[in-house]
Amino acid sequence: MILPQGLLFFVSLAACSTAVVAASNDGSARPRGVGPEFAKFYKDTDTFTCISHPAIKIPFSAVNDDYCDCPDGSDEPGTSACAHLSRNSPLTVADRPGSNDLDLTLSLPGFYCKNKGHKPSYVPFQRVNDGICDYDLCCDGSDEWARVGGTKCEDKCKEIGKEWRKKEEKRQKSMTTALKKKKELLTDAGRQQKEVEENINRLEIQIQGQEIKLKDLEADLEEIEKQERSKVVTGKKAGKVNVLAQVAKGRVEELRTALAEVRKERDETRSRIKELEEILSKFKVEYNPNFNDEGVKRAVRSWEEYAARGTSEGLENAARDRDLDEIVKPDDDKSGVNWEQWENEEDGCEANLVYQLAAYLPPSLVNFIEDKALAIRGFLEQNGILPTKDEGSASESKAVTEARDAVDAVRKSIEDLKNQVKDHKEDLDTDYGVGSIFRALKGVCIQKDAGEYTYEHCFLDQTKQIPKKGGSTARMGNFVRIGSVTIDQLNESGEIVPEERISLEYAKGQTCWNGPARSTSVVLQCGEENEILKIAEDEKCVYSMLVNTPAVCPGGEEDVHAASGRKDEL
Amino acid sequence: MAGRRLLSTRWTLLLSLVILLGCLVIPGVAVKHENFKKCSQSGFCKRNRAYADDVAAKGSAWSSPYELDSSSIQFKDGQLHGTILKSVSAEEKVKLPLTVSFLESGVARVVIDEEKRLNKEIELRHDSQARKERYNEAEKWVLVGGLELSKSATLDSESETGVTRVLYGPENNFQAIIRHSPFDIEFQRDGQTHVHLNNKGYLNMEHWRRKVDTSEGDGEQNSESQEDESTWWEETFGGNTDTKPKGPESVGLDITFPGYGHVYGIPEHADSLSLRETRGGSGNHEEPYRMYNSDVFEYELNSPMTLYGAIPLMQAHRPGSTVGVFWLNAAETWVDIVKSTSSANPLSLGVNSKTDTQSHWFSESGQIDVFVFLGPTPQDISKKYGELTGYTQLPQHFAIAYHQCRWNYVTDEDVKDVDRNFDKYQIPYDVIWLDIEYLDDRKYFTWDPLTFPNPIGMEEQLDESERKLVVIIDPHIKNKEKYTISEELKSKNLATRNKDGEIYEGWCWPGSSHWVDCFNPEAIKWWIGLFKYDKFKGTLPNVFIWNDMNEPSVFNGPETTMPKDNLHYGNWEHRDIHNVNGITFVNATYNAMLERKKGELRRPFILTRSYYAGAQRMSAMWTGDNQATWEHLAISLPMVLNNGISGFPFAGADVGGFFHNPSKDLLTRWYQTGIWYPFFRAHAHIDTRRREPYLISEPHRSIIAQAIRLRYQLLPAWYTAFHEASVNGTPIVRPQFYVHPSDEAGFVIDDQLYLGSTGILTKPVVTEGTTTVDIYLADDEKYYDYFDYTVYQGAGKRHEVPAPLEKVPVLMQGGHVIPRKDRPRRSSGLMKWDPYTLVVVLDKNGEADGTLYVDDGETFDYERGAYIHRRFHFHDSTLSSEDIGTKGPKTAEYLKAMASVRVERVVVIDPPKGWQEKSTVTVIEDGAKTASTAAMEYHAQPNGKAPYAVVKNPTVSIGKTWRIEF
Repeated sequence: MILPQGLLFFVSLAACSTAVVAASNDGSARPRGVGPEFAKFYKDTDTFTCISHPAIKIPFSAVNDDYCDCPDGSDEPGTSACAHLSRNSPLTVADRPGSNDLDLTLSLPGFYCKNKGHKPSYVPFQRVNDGICDYDLCCDGSDEWARVGGTKCEDKCKEIGKEWRKKEEKRQKSMTTALKKKKELLTDAGRQQKEVEENINRLEIQIQGQEIKLKDLEADLEEIEKQERSKVVTGKKAGKVNVLAQVAKGRVEELRTALAEVRKERDETRSRIKELEEILSKFKVEYNPNFNDEGVKRAVRSWEEYAARGTSEGLENAARDRDLDEIVKPDDDKSGVNWEQWENEEDGCEANLVYQLAAYLPPSLVNFIEDKALAIRGFLEQNGILPTKDEGSASESKAVTEARDAVDAVRKSIEDLKNQVKDHKEDLDTDYGVGSIFRALKGVCIQKDAGEYTYEHCFLDQTKQIPKKGGSTARMGNFVRIGSVTIDQLNESGEIVPEERISLEYAKGQTCWNGPARSTSVVLQCGEENEILKIAEDEKCVYSMLVNTPAVCPGGEEDVHAASGRKDEL
Repeated sequence: MAGRRLLSTRWTLLLSLVILLGCLVIPGVAVKHENFKKCSQSGFCKRNRAYADDVAAKGSAWSSPYELDSSSIQFKDGQLHGTILKSVSAEEKVKLPLTVSFLESGVARVVIDEEKRLNKEIELRHDSQARKERYNEAEKWVLVGGLELSKSATLDSESETGVTRVLYGPENNFQAIIRHSPFDIEFQRDGQTHVHLNNKGYLNMEHWRRKVDTSEGDGEQNSESQEDESTWWEETFGGNTDTKPKGPESVGLDITFPGYGHVYGIPEHADSLSLRETRGGSGNHEEPYRMYNSDVFEYELNSPMTLYGAIPLMQAHRPGSTVGVFWLNAAETWVDIVKSTSSANPLSLGVNSKTDTQSHWFSESGQIDVFVFLGPTPQDISKKYGELTGYTQLPQHFAIAYHQCRWNYVTDEDVKDVDRNFDKYQIPYDVIWLDIEYLDDRKYFTWDPLTFPNPIGMEEQLDESERKLVVIIDPHIKNKEKYTISEELKSKNLATRNKDGEIYEGWCWPGSSHWVDCFNPEAIKWWIGLFKYDKFKGTLPNVFIWNDMNEPSVFNGPETTMPKDNLHYGNWEHRDIHNVNGITFVNATYNAMLERKKGELRRPFILTRSYYAGAQRMSAMWTGDNQATWEHLAISLPMVLNNGISGFPFAGADVGGFFHNPSKDLLTRWYQTGIWYPFFRAHAHIDTRRREPYLISEPHRSIIAQAIRLRYQLLPAWYTAFHEASVNGTPIVRPQFYVHPSDEAGFVIDDQLYLGSTGILTKPVVTEGTTTVDIYLADDEKYYDYFDYTVYQGAGKRHEVPAPLEKVPVLMQGGHVIPRKDRPRRSSGLMKWDPYTLVVVLDKNGEADGTLYVDDGETFDYERGAYIHRRFHFHDSTLSSEDIGTKGPKTAEYLKAMASVRVERVVVIDPPKGWQEKSTVTVIEDGAKTASTAAMEYHAQPNGKAPYAVVKNPTVSIGKTWRIEF
C-alpha cells in the first residue's frame, strides 16, 4: 500500500534519528546496512521507492525506522524489521498489504557489514540487533548497533582480518598444491590408461599368433585321428563291456567320493544349524522384551514360527545313515560291485548282456532311467560336484590325446587372452571421471577416527567401519559408480543455493541388523590431501562421507591434456 | 547406537539365516497384553468388581455393613471425627476412623483409615519388615497447601436422627449430609446434590485378618464367608510372585454424580477426553480405567489401559456446572464408570431425561482419602485443585519454545552440526536433547569419551545463540564396580530394597541396576550433590534434565516395574507408593537443579515420563513412546487436553511419532499440531530415518518452518498462558467444554482447542489428505481466520475452514488482544528485546481485552516483582495498557531494563468503517510531556474478509501505561 506522503511526517523520529544513516567516513553516506551495489536506490533523500515495488513510495525518513513498510523489505536495510518477510514465516495479510505476490523476493541480501580491515559481507536480517555479535560474518560488530540489552560488539576486524588473510594465504597455497597434485593424478591416470591401451594391443597380437598356432594343431589332430582309425586295436581289456566297466567303475568311484563329500558337508551344515538353533533358542529365553528393539522381537517371532515347523533335531535318521555308510564302502568281492569280473568279461557276452538287461525292461522305463541319469548328471556337473567328462578319452590312444590336449591348451590360452582384452576394454569404458582422474586413485585408502569407530575409504573399491573396541569390521559398501549429489550451500547473503558435487557411490555392504545393506555416498570436495572430513549416518545404515581430494579441484585438465597430447604425437 | 551396531554384527548371521529360511513375518504393532494385567488378573480389582456386582444383584435385599457410630461423632474447627463400624459378623465389628475436613477453600476431604492397622496391632506374614499402617504419606509428596480448615463450617443442629449435616463453603451454601447407617455422604451446592459417596454401597475396606490355614478336610470352615480368598495372600503374574505380607487391604468406594452426563480426567490414558463407560456395551470399555504407572511398549489407542502417569482427579460436567473428586491414593487404582439415564416422563424420550454418572474407585492399599470439589465452574476446580497440589511451575522461557530431540545425536560434532543446520535453514529452535547414547557405558553423570569427547565445547556453541541442552538421567544406576555413583548408592544404603531388605537388583538400560530411593531424605541430599558442576562434569548452566523410566521401568520386573513387595524408605511397600514413585525422583532432580552452585538460583527444567498429582510444580511431561501414524497424531490432542484440565498442562506428544518413519505429509501435519502442545518437542526412535525439519524437501520444509515460526511468533501469548496456569491452575490449551461450559454440543469435542485466554481457536489436521476442517463454534461471536481475516460466525454450528497442507487452521475469537513477536530469530532467547505486535480482534460491541505477562524467563526474580503484567483493553475507540502487576523490590530495576522494548505495530481487525477516513492516531504515554501521533492505515478487504487497520510504530514501551486513541 502506498503511504500518502507527508503523513509519516508525524511519526516519531526517535528511533530513526539514530538509525537512518550509519556513521560513515568513506565519503558515501549510505543508509546503515546498505551495500555499495544498492547505494543507487538510496540517493533521493526525500522519497524512497521500494526496490522491487516501485509503485510504493515512502518518505525517506521511513528508511531504517525499524518498521517494515516495503513488501520487499528494502526500506529496512539496517534493522531486523523486515526479517519476517521470508517463505519460512507465517505471514498474514497485514504483513504484506497490497501484495498478493506469493513469491517472496527480498531485494536485499542482508545487512551489509563494511568490515574495514577484513572483507565486507552480508548478515541475515534476522541476526541484526539480536544481542549476539556475529563476528564470523560481521567482524566490525555493526550488526549490533542498537546495543540491545547492553550488548556491545567491538570492532574485531583487525585481528579477524589478519587471521583470515593468514588462512586465506594458506588456503591459496594449499589450492596451488592441490592443483599440482591433481595434475600429477591426471598424468598418472593418463599413463595408466595408456598402459591399458598398450596392453590391449599387445594381447591382440598374441591372440593372432595363437590363432595361427591353433589352426596348425587342429590340422595335426585331424591327421592323427585319421591314422588312428585305420589302425586295428585289440587288447585284453578293449572290449566294449570292459571299457564300459572301466568307465562305470570310474564313475561309481567319483559318485562315491562326491557322496562322501556331500554327506560331510551335510553333517557340517547340520551341526552349524544346530548351533544356530541353540543360539536362537537361548536368545529367545534371554532377550529382553522391553528393550524396544523391534528387530529383536521380529527375530524372536520368526524363530518361534520356524521352531514350530520343527528343528534340525528331527532331521537325523539313523537307518538312512547306515545305508549311506554301506554305500560309501569301497567295492570289493564282498560288497558292492565286483569290478574285476566285469573288466575281464569276454567280448562275446557284451551284446547278450545289454540285450538281456534291456529286454526285461519296458522301453518307457529305459527312457525314463536314461533321462533321469542324464538329468542327475547334468545337475551334478552344473553344481560342480562332478567334473565334466570328456566322453571318449578313456579309449583314445596316447597320440590322439596329446594332440587333442595341445589343441585344447591353445584354445584355452586364446580364451584367456580374449578375456583379458575384454577386461581391459571394459576398464577403458568405465567412467573414471573427467580425464579419467580416479584411475590414479583407485585402491588408495584413507582412514578417519570418529567416535568409537575408524572409518576407511578406499577409492573406487569400498568403505569400511572398523570398531575400536574390538569386534568385526563392517563393510559399508562396494564401489558402484561415480555420481553426483546436490548440496545445499549458503551463498553470501545466507540463502540456500544448490551445488553439484561429485560423489562416489558404494552399495551392497554388510546387511544391517534389522535394516538394509549398508551403503555409503562419498561426497568429494577440493582439498590438498585425500582426507576423510566427516562421516554421518543419514538414516539407518545409509552413510555419507565428506572427503577431501585434489582430484575434484577445478581446472588442470587442459594443461595435462595438452601435455599428453604432445606426448601422443611423439 | 553403539549397542545396536555391536548387535548388528553379532546377529547378522542369525538374521541371514532367518531370511534364508524364508520365515520373515511383518510384525503386528501392538502392545503386549500378556505383560499387563487385566482386571481379572489383579486380585483386588476382581474382588471389588465382584463386590459391586454382588451388591447390585442383591438390590434392596442388601444393606451396606458400614455404619457411622453416632456416639463417636465430634465436630470441631471445621473437622468432623467419628468411627465407622464395619460389621464382619454378628459379634465382630471393625473400627474405621473417619475424618471429614471442611477446608477454607470450599473443598471437603473425607479420610477413612483402619484402627487396627493404624495402631500397628496386626501381624505381618513372612517376617516382613514392612510398615503395618495403611500408607498415609502420599500427601507429603502431593499436597502443598489449601488445607486450612474452614472457620465458618457449622454443624446443622436441626438434623434429623441418624443424619449429620455440615454447612460450609462460600457463604455456607455447600452442605455435607452424612447418613450414619448405612454410611453415605451427599455433597450439596445450593440445595442440590452434586456428589454422592457410597450411594451404591460399594464402600469396601478390606480389614486386616489373620491367615487361616485350611488343612485338607476342613475346607468347609471358610466357605461360610463366601468371599473369594484366592487372591488374598499371594498373587502370581508373569512368573513373579507377590508375597503380600499384609494380606488383602484394598479400599473401594462408589462416587455418583447425579445429573452429570460427562466425566473427564484421570489421566493418563490414550482415550477420548470424555471418559467412556467401562462395564461393556457398544462403544464402551470392558475394563476399568487403570492407574498403575507403567512403561507400556507400543501402547494401543482408545483404551482404558494404564500408561506412564496418573492423576486421580475426575471432574463431572453438565451445562453450567462442574464438580470433581480427587482420590489421593498412590497404590494401583482402577476406576469403573457407568452412566444411567432416567427419563422424567417415559413418553417424552430425551426431554427432561437425566443422566447420572457413577464412578467406582478402588485401590490396592492405603487409606480412603477423597477431596470433593463443588465447582461450579471448571476454573473453580482448576483453582482449588491447584491450591492443594500446587500450580504449574512458571517455566524457563526456552522450555516453551521448540525442542529438537532424537534417540540419538551420536557425537558432540553431530549435535553441533544439527545446531548449525537449523541456522543455515533459518528455522528457530531452543533446545537439543541427548538420549541415553551420550553416556559412557550407560552410566549416568558420565560422557562417552569416544563420541562426546568435548561436551563443554558443544554446550558453548549452543550457548552462543542462547540454546540449551537437555540430557537424560534415569533412576536406575548401573550395578558396576568402580562406578563411584553405584558404589556410593550401595555404601550409603540409598537404594530401594527387596522384600527381604536387601538392595534390589533389576534390569534396565545399563543391564544390572539398582534404583535410587528418593523417598529417603538422605538420598535426595546425595542426589542434589551429584548435579553440582564439579560432580557432573561436562555440563554448563545451559544443561537441563530429562527424567525417563521413573515409573520405575524395570525390564525384568512384573508388568515392567518393581515387585510390589519391594521396600522403600520408612519400610513402605512399593505397592503403597508406586504411583508417586515417579515424582519423588523428579522432586530430587528438581531440588538438585534449583541451585547447581551457590547463588545460581534458577528455575529448573525437567521432563518426566512418569507422574502423579503435583508433578506440575516441578516438570513437564510427554505422552511417551507413541508411533508415527495418523491415529497417534489424532489421539495426542485429547491426551494433551486431558492433562491440561487435570492440573498438569505442561504436556506434549513426540512430534513425528517415536516409532517408525512418518510420511512427509504426516510429519508436516504433526508439526502443525505440535505447535499447539504446551510442550513442543520432536523425537524419534534410533531406528528411524533422520527427520530434522531442514532435511525434509520443499515444499514441506518451508511449511514446517512456518509452523515452528508461528509458535515463536505467539510465544508472548503462550508465556502469558503459562503464567495464568502458574497462578490459577488453568489449562494452557483448553477444550471446548472448559471455555463454553454451557454449550452441551461441545462436551464431547476434543479435537479442537483454545490457546489460553487469547481466543485463538485451532483445529489441527490429523487425518491424511485433508484439505478442509469443520471447526465448531459454540458462541455467536465473530471468529476471524488468523492469516487472512476471513469471517466465520454462527453459534452451535460447524464451519468449514480451508486447510490445505500449507495451512494451519486457526481462528481468532472476537474480543481479544493477542500479543505477538513477529521477528524471526535463531532462538527464543534472542527475541527478548524485540518489539511487540498487538492484534486487537474486536467483538460484536467493538471491544477487546487481553493480557501479557513478561519476565526474565529464567530466575525467580519475578517473585520479587521483576515482571511486567499488563491488561490491554479496547473500548470507546481507545486501546489502553494498564498495569495489573504487584510492585516488588525488583520491579523498578526490571522495568528500566525493559524500557527499550516497545510495541512496533497494532493491528485492529474489523474496525468501524469510519476509520477509512483516519490516517493518524493519538498516542499518550504515561510520563510523556505531550501526546504524539502515529500513522494508521485502513485496509478494506474483499467480501467475506474483515477489513483491518495497522498502527505503525506507536512508540509505546511495553512496560508502561499508555493509551492509543483512534
